[in-house]
Amino acid sequence: MSRIPPFAPRRALLGLGVLAGLALGAAAPAAAQRAQPCIGASWELTGPLAHTGLSIRIAVETAIEEINAAGGVLGQPLRLIAYDDQGEPARAVDNARRIGERDNCIVMMGGFRTPNAIALREPLDEMGLPWMGVISAGTGVIEHPNNANRWMFRVSMKDRWVAPFLVDAARARSASGRIALVYEGTAWGQGAIPDVTAAMRAANIPLAGQETFNIADTDMSAQLIRLRDAGVDTIIFYGVDREATNLLRSMDRLGYRPQIVSAWGVGVQFAQTAGPLANGVIVAGTYTWMGELPPRAAGVLQRIQARFPQIRTAADIPLPSGTANAYDATFIIAEAIKLAGRLDREAFREALFRVNYQGIVANYAPAFERRQERHDAIQASAYQLFAFHDGQLLPIAQTPYGRARTN
Amino acid sequence: MEAILQYLLTGISVGSVYAMVALGFYVMWSAAKAVNFTYGNVFMLGGVLTVVLVELGMPLLVAAGGAIAIATLTGAVIERVFVRPFNRDANAIGWMLTTIAVGIMMESFATATYGPLGRPLDTPFMQEPLRIGGAGIYAQELLIPVALIVLTFGLEAFYRRTVLGRALRAVALNRTAAGLVGIDADRITLFAFGLAGGIGALAGFLIAPVVQASSTMGVVVGLKGFMVAIIAGIANAKGVVVVGILYGVLERFIEGFLSSAARDAIGFTIMILALLLFPQGLFGRKEVRKV
Repeated sequence: MSRIPPFAPRRALLGLGVLAGLALGAAAPAAAQRAQPCIGASWELTGPLAHTGLSIRIAVETAIEEINAAGGVLGQPLRLIAYDDQGEPARAVDNARRIGERDNCIVMMGGFRTPNAIALREPLDEMGLPWMGVISAGTGVIEHPNNANRWMFRVSMKDRWVAPFLVDAARARSASGRIALVYEGTAWGQGAIPDVTAAMRAANIPLAGQETFNIADTDMSAQLIRLRDAGVDTIIFYGVDREATNLLRSMDRLGYRPQIVSAWGVGVQFAQTAGPLANGVIVAGTYTWMGELPPRAAGVLQRIQARFPQIRTAADIPLPSGTANAYDATFIIAEAIKLAGRLDREAFREALFRVNYQGIVANYAPAFERRQERHDAIQASAYQLFAFHDGQLLPIAQTPYGRARTN
Repeated sequence: MEAILQYLLTGISVGSVYAMVALGFYVMWSAAKAVNFTYGNVFMLGGVLTVVLVELGMPLLVAAGGAIAIATLTGAVIERVFVRPFNRDANAIGWMLTTIAVGIMMESFATATYGPLGRPLDTPFMQEPLRIGGAGIYAQELLIPVALIVLTFGLEAFYRRTVLGRALRAVALNRTAAGLVGIDADRITLFAFGLAGGIGALAGFLIAPVVQASSTMGVVVGLKGFMVAIIAGIANAKGVVVVGILYGVLERFIEGFLSSAARDAIGFTIMILALLLFPQGLFGRKEVRKV
């Protein structure tokens, strides 16, 4: 009978442990590895929403250039790796996988569409990849139903906060108190109904009308006739440039001119397509690059123009608020990497709660807080009203429409 | 009453656009028993190219003429390259796939080069709306039904009184027999697709000042124009015109008295029911073949 050496099982166990450790190490999520100093982005760079991708890209590239000219992050240049998702959620998820697992970027930046951002909730959670939204304003992007959002942050507006802001603006301008909601028949437009209704209820004013339209509708006379007959003098509008122009054309046909107070889907192109009819239309947003700019913002605009020849004037920035948000978000990311002190996603996430940064949209002090509602950096107090005047989108104070009307 | 007049006026205007597009389908179908499914994009060329040429400094009418000429050429090229080689057999359907594919390519190219957003096309007829019985409408919108009437009578005269028009009718009636009497059916078909391209671009140019010229402006109009042609009976020009206008008016009345959101659902349902009751189309005649 041979004697089994007493250490043999211990060696075998040790060997198995090493193998298991190696296997686990290979399977460990990218988050546990050292991340790269890059911002991975999934934007709408081609297709019908290409102007939104452009609005973000010009800001991020300009900001990165400034950050790298000042020494980069942790002694390394910050890079941008941008992928096109054409506004399709499935592509956005594919891009997130690439960014999180192949490129191993420290953070991902989102684009225009809320459905894309919503589709990223689970993949981001699985990868432990921080995400920064700069336009998509859907409430659910940040306020997850399970109240457990860890990785998604935003430097943009939030629909739930926008609705009371629009209602306040509408109330201030309605002489009769007869305010109606007109919205596009999309998830965004329909999502505004509960928010606006709740805000109106809080203000103790009933909605005097509620009308919808389809994307690409050219005539909205029927909706407007109903609103006119209901005595509506102010319309809260959720739509984009093309349909906003068609709404104004229909108003012009009817000789009916209620005040329009619009969510920020209406961009600068509206001034060109609607012409003089756009005068006096009020839009909520975070920034405009037109009118008198503070010196810092004027410098940013100059650098954007120098870098992107297609941006000849501020009128060529399709979504001015999105551009400003993206510029601030890039600096917040750089600050967080510096505060984290290492290229680690968990440390980066923790650092986001310690970032204090004076941006061009707002003073972020701090940028984020731990409760998910405050994963939104821009507070409602920083929202602004702009108005179209003579082909420009200006801060309302720089237009004749600053005062509440008394029609 | 004022509202009814408003729906009538805007309905006739938008219905006239559907009718013009449907007329284009009629012209193509008559000659080839095939159509160009990218026709909505040819319609788009009329608006978009006019804007581009105006931005390059051309006067409006010259730009519109240029856009229509390019669209005419485009229609002919599509027939020669993407329809004819795939329409050799009696039951060939390859042309459906190729023309749809070309349409997607055209729209993508226009979006990439022209941009995704609409652009204005200023005309003197869009300055102030006209007031008619309390309703309002732009003169530009009234121009469209006028153009439709002129076009319809012009086509009728062309088909009946010119050699080329008669050749077109002969090809439509019997392609083989037309060939036997010396008519070059292929060339006639090429001409028909070019003519349809011009008609589509004319419609696009006329409506662009009202709705903005954009790379996607032809998607819905192309679909509805085709539907109108089928419901009317694609081989009947007058029927196509009548159904087009009626459909535009119907849409406005659905919006006004039922629901804006359900407009297309209700409109399409009514059209499908009409097709069930009249399988040859409202104005179509049962095709009789000698065997």
